[in-house]
Amino acid sequence: MTIVLEAKNVNKSYSVGRNNEQSVLKNVNLQLQAGEFVSIMGPSGCGKSTLLYTISGMDKMTSGSVAIQGQEIGSLSEERLAQLRLSKMGFIFQQSGFLKNLSLLDNMILPAYMAKRESRAVIDRRASELMQRTGIAGLANADKAEVSGGQLQRAAICRALINQPDIVFGDEPTGALNSKASDEVMAILTELNHTGTTIMLVTHDAKVAAKTQRVLFMLDGRIVGERVLGQLGQAELKVREAKLSSWLAEMGF
Amino acid sequence: MLGKMWRKDIARNKLITAILFMFIMISSLLVASSASMLLELFRSVDDWFEKAGVPHFVQMHAGEIDQREMDGFSSRSELVKEQQTVEMISIEPDHVYFGPSGESEDGSVMEMSFVKQNKAFDFLLDLNNKRLDVLPGEIAVPIYFMQQHSLELGDTVRLAKGSFSKTFTIADFVRDAQMNPSIVSSKRIVVSDSDWETLKGHFDEKEYLIEFLLHDGERTSEFEQLYLASGLPHQGTAITYAQFRLLNALTDGVAAVVILLASVLMIVIAFLCLRFTMLAALEEDVYEIGVMKAIGIASDEIRQLYLMKYRMIALTASMAGVLLSLFAEQAFMANRSLYMGTAEKNALSYIIPLLGAGCIFLLVMLFCRLVLRRFKRISAVEALRSGSTSAKGRMTRLLKLHRSRFIPVNIFVGIQDVFVRLKTFGLLGFVFTLCFFLIIVPVNFLNTMKSPDFMTYMGAGRSDIQIDMRQTDDVAQRYNDMIAYIQHDSDVEIYAPLVTSSYMMRSDDGVYEKVSVQTGDFSLFPLAYLSGAAPATNDEIALSYLHAKERGKQLGDTLTLIVAGEERVLKLSGIYQDVTNGGKTAKALLPYEAQSVLWYMVSLDVKPGVAIGEKRAEYAAAFHPAKVTFMDDYLSQTLGSTISQLQKITALTLAAALAIAMLITALFFNMLIVKDASDIVIMRSLGFSLKHIRLQYIIRSLAVLMAGIVLGTAAAGSLGQGVVSMLMSFMGAARVEFVVNPFVAYMLIPLILLAVVLITTLFSSLTITATGKSAVAAK
Repeated sequence: MTIVLEAKNVNKSYSVGRNNEQSVLKNVNLQLQAGEFVSIMGPSGCGKSTLLYTISGMDKMTSGSVAIQGQEIGSLSEERLAQLRLSKMGFIFQQSGFLKNLSLLDNMILPAYMAKRESRAVIDRRASELMQRTGIAGLANADKAEVSGGQLQRAAICRALINQPDIVFGDEPTGALNSKASDEVMAILTELNHTGTTIMLVTHDAKVAAKTQRVLFMLDGRIVGERVLGQLGQAELKVREAKLSSWLAEMGF
Repeated sequence: MLGKMWRKDIARNKLITAILFMFIMISSLLVASSASMLLELFRSVDDWFEKAGVPHFVQMHAGEIDQREMDGFSSRSELVKEQQTVEMISIEPDHVYFGPSGESEDGSVMEMSFVKQNKAFDFLLDLNNKRLDVLPGEIAVPIYFMQQHSLELGDTVRLAKGSFSKTFTIADFVRDAQMNPSIVSSKRIVVSDSDWETLKGHFDEKEYLIEFLLHDGERTSEFEQLYLASGLPHQGTAITYAQFRLLNALTDGVAAVVILLASVLMIVIAFLCLRFTMLAALEEDVYEIGVMKAIGIASDEIRQLYLMKYRMIALTASMAGVLLSLFAEQAFMANRSLYMGTAEKNALSYIIPLLGAGCIFLLVMLFCRLVLRRFKRISAVEALRSGSTSAKGRMTRLLKLHRSRFIPVNIFVGIQDVFVRLKTFGLLGFVFTLCFFLIIVPVNFLNTMKSPDFMTYMGAGRSDIQIDMRQTDDVAQRYNDMIAYIQHDSDVEIYAPLVTSSYMMRSDDGVYEKVSVQTGDFSLFPLAYLSGAAPATNDEIALSYLHAKERGKQLGDTLTLIVAGEERVLKLSGIYQDVTNGGKTAKALLPYEAQSVLWYMVSLDVKPGVAIGEKRAEYAAAFHPAKVTFMDDYLSQTLGSTISQLQKITALTLAAALAIAMLITALFFNMLIVKDASDIVIMRSLGFSLKHIRLQYIIRSLAVLMAGIVLGTAAAGSLGQGVVSMLMSFMGAARVEFVVNPFVAYMLIPLILLAVVLITTLFSSLTITATGKSAVAAK
């Protein structure tokens, strides 16, 4: 197995007012294998999202090291980090995170046009394939205000995949969805994972976490527990959910 | 509690508060300055004219005078309070040497008239507005020469002609109510009575000013008629008190009016910015407003909270503006106080600028109330639920990324945003347009004034050299000799003899008035006519704009002139622009009588390659004492002080406009970046680097600025020319067409504005950082 992402002793603190540092991440260590589907859980304010943004290079860590496919990101310039996000990472947010001015399709193709690795025609073709696959083929020219939350999240998945990234990060990707839409989005992500995409997402929903292979539990800026659930087969979902819930209860969730 | 809230609010939005403060302060500064300038200008002129005892009517005369006849007329007329005849010795500039330079004034367009201090009225004043007195050996020189040659007290002035030479020491400088302005092309120089008598023995050319002081200045025009009918000398130009006043106030008056106009633009900009910041603040605070409404605070009280903040800013800013105006005034006062002195300040001098600033304050408050009426429309529930008042679905259907095959992504994102938020960016574009307009109009006007084509507005076609010959006993003969000389000069390309003589014109109510009419071939040095064309037959006449306006004449109307003792009806063939001779001149193809000729003139162009300077010197020597003028010099010397005042205004408006552009750009993009925080975070997560995102903002700013420059150029060409023409129409030029220096207007100034705006945008976009305000705001 190849390691896609490795974080060692990552610390992150914010200054709050004068002479007052608040530590958000404390010595976090983490490894992500290629093809894994990992979720991070924990109570509000435990540092889940900060961890996601720090290890993806969006936010600067205070100390520690993060390597993505063996490349240390701490020493990279802002420019190089952006390049890295563009070519190797995809993001899905709780609120779709679409640019207001652009149509769904334009939002999807934006990172690919930006990366300029392929011709615009190739990119357009991939976008329409992705939209087919996620069931939103007819919505290319729609505005983000014209579609449902579930459709919007599918479009967000399409955008995250447009540059064929090595890792897809999700920050509560189902957080704003009803349970039906949530199930649909998770089904798409699971299918993606089955075809080889590495996914790491933050969630506070045990039902969502139960569909991932490995669950990390965070408390007060530290990873305090880990539960490996393995590959998901349809039949065992209920059992997985139950197991995970009792573990979470143990962890104090 | 409310007080605490607005103080915190100001502290939180330091930059925006500072920029609003600046805008209101500058508006207040400009209004206070221009109001004070106009007021002080009129007060100073009044004060000065009173101390100088300016005559109500002055007739210039070059021939002999019978003083007994004059006295008889004065004593018979109940209108006349006092009469005085000023005898002036005209000395050719080439006999006069100012300062230690050793160069004569040869080439100066100024006529130098040496006089004694007057006894009864029309006093020549010193720089303290006191009657000046010079001792034998001393001389008092007009301010014009003092500025031209940087003369100082104690410097010398030498007069030399043949074997005669006399050196004077400058004991004072003359403030001359009649001839002060540089646009008046003769100047009075004061010497002691005994020296004057000496000069009289060596220089024989004389000219008289026949001056009248009336009991009632209001009845000047009545007196004018009476004088004309009396048969007393009336060959030269006649000027009235009102014209002196206008001439003196013109340069500074135009400056004050231009600043007033600039301040109007400034106020418009300030209000647009106010509206923009207030609405943006409201949008940002709509959730909080919802909360306040929900917990039961009345709309009016919430409005008070906002009003209080703006009241504080407006009050302090407008007061700061008044204080600054006290200093700014000095810069513009320099010219005025030198030329006309300063009247003592009275209460009004302080009240008027304060009133101006007070108006600004009230306008701002009124405007704030108007904008804040929106509060009533915010529903608590809606505000809490959406946290925003802005409409959703702002995507444009026109610009699509996937349809643009070649446009780079960052350029697309920037430009598309400008189109999507056209209303928001429109404000910025409008301000840029105004800024560019504010810069380009004075610059173009300045360039026009400096251009040789400005001659058009002085009622003459453009020529290389102009030779003027004034009425003397043998003038007709000398004139004919001169024409013969020029005719045989192989260096001359073309020439046109033009003779100006006075005729009597019958006005519509049957009164005869004297008018001066130029005759000759007007086709050789053609003039651009406002309407119609130059007179082509001998029953046609062309009038200057002010002349036609005063007489209420239009193209095709007729005028009746007495020509060779008979009435002749002339049809108005054209109207042209002329700022000389009070703007009232005429042109026709009429026979002239030698005794009514005012002056003879020849305009000529030399052949290419001929040195004009040398030609001028040759003619000056050959046609002595005719005045030979190199026309480029003429313009720069007579318009000199107007041009330098205009240069100051141009520099001021340039600085103001650049400051506005900088402030509005900073204000705009700082607010925009905070507003766009979430989009910025999204783009960063997608892999756009900070550099890319900053580039997008620069693209936005560039796109808007380009539009502003294009619109500003168009506005300057149409509206700007209109405004300048309107101002200039008071002087006689009703349709000023800008002579544009393409390098300055289309390259240099746009580039300067571009540099200022782009650098400011770049600095503003530096607030986009990984951990900056925007990132925090997004979270």
